[in-house]
Amino acid sequence: MSELRRAWLITRKDLRLEFRTGGRLLSMIAFVVLAGFLFAFALDHNLVPGRDVAAALIWLVILFASTAGAGRIFDAEEEEGAFRHLLLTPVSRPAVFLGKTMANLIVIWLVTALTFISLTAFLDVRDQGSLTAHAAVLLPGTIGLAATGTFFGRMSRHSSLGDTLLPVLTFPLLVPVIYLGATSTARVLLERPWTEISGSVRLLWAFAVGSVFIGAALFRHLTDE
Amino acid sequence: MTLVGRGLVCSYGPTRALDGVDIVAGGGEIVAVVGPNGAGKTTLLRALSGERRPDRGDVLLDGSPVSGADPGWRGRVGLVSHRTGLYRKLTVAENLTFFAALHRISDARHAVARSLETVGVATLAKTRVEALSRGQAQRVALARSLLHDPGILFLDEPFTGLDPAAAAALESTLRARRAAGGVIILVTHELRRCLGLADRVVVLQRGHKVYDGETGSADAADLLRFFTATSSDAS
Repeated sequence: MSELRRAWLITRKDLRLEFRTGGRLLSMIAFVVLAGFLFAFALDHNLVPGRDVAAALIWLVILFASTAGAGRIFDAEEEEGAFRHLLLTPVSRPAVFLGKTMANLIVIWLVTALTFISLTAFLDVRDQGSLTAHAAVLLPGTIGLAATGTFFGRMSRHSSLGDTLLPVLTFPLLVPVIYLGATSTARVLLERPWTEISGSVRLLWAFAVGSVFIGAALFRHLTDE
Repeated sequence: MTLVGRGLVCSYGPTRALDGVDIVAGGGEIVAVVGPNGAGKTTLLRALSGERRPDRGDVLLDGSPVSGADPGWRGRVGLVSHRTGLYRKLTVAENLTFFAALHRISDARHAVARSLETVGVATLAKTRVEALSRGQAQRVALARSLLHDPGILFLDEPFTGLDPAAAAALESTLRARRAAGGVIILVTHELRRCLGLADRVVVLQRGHKVYDGETGSADAADLLRFFTATSSDAS
């Protein structure tokens, strides 16, 4: 059995636990909907059209929700000490990282879809541009968020500061994702030509691939004593 | 099959949890490691199983060094600890099938059924772990550790919280594994139980091995007195 297959087993197990427990996903969904609701009241729509700020707010909400969720990625593993037993199986550390990242990514995708729907509705953004183009921007961006969140979610477990440490570690690293993602999404909302966006998307892919490979390579330092 | 820990040293910051401990465990033998809290029992088990890389010293299987970094080694060991290591929201069968797949067991369903049968909890396959009693969950944890038929079994305080029936079932399974030629290393603070179950007993105190002998030849009363004295001393 390949390591990819084992990674998928971990993903499937994590998703099954996620949907049975529901706590992490529900709290992320609640955050997303409430954030959209509050933004609708916080903005003076006569002075600032929702479309002008939607891209930035979408990416910030995805960032905050995914960071809040990242702190709980390893909850089920720690509850009864299952992670110790998982690490004693012949599965490689990169496969464990990949499996956890994929599960985190799927949850982030659900949250991202809801964020997009919620914010465009609350901010009254009627012309949303091409959904395919939005997906092409959001896909690499969320992969970067998922890989970074999984890695630092594990690291924060080892710190006495716990989840408090997570945003301190991740936010500076994620500045490129937020900048490239928000500016690209803004252009898609304004229906600008793809040539204006493709360069940023390529950089988002570079960040995504880099964070997955670096996370997988370094993950053993967070698991092996 | 012989498992040897040679000159094992492990430290946590400035605290030396193990200080040059040697231990040998042969096939068909249960070795009990006892000692007061903080003696280094769990650290010794983690070093032997490969969960923790010793700062110094080696772990050898039949003379060849082994390490937790080697997936082949991890596939040969089983672990039962006082925490069950099971996912509470999954059923017993889902838990075991997951671990069986990670161990590359080809007929996972059959292996799970056989393992649950061995520890006498086959009827619980479809029950979620969160609905199990402590004793049932611990038996399932034992079934999980036996799934891949490991040659070496590590047990870290496995009797914690078990009722007499569950403890007897666990002892019975361990005796069967011993008869099958497995290496069993049992960490416990229950000296009375281990004298009845183990073939040899190793006593640790503050990271040092202070006794290593066969339980049959050991004067149980002296050992109990010694253990009580070291416990009082430690506290």
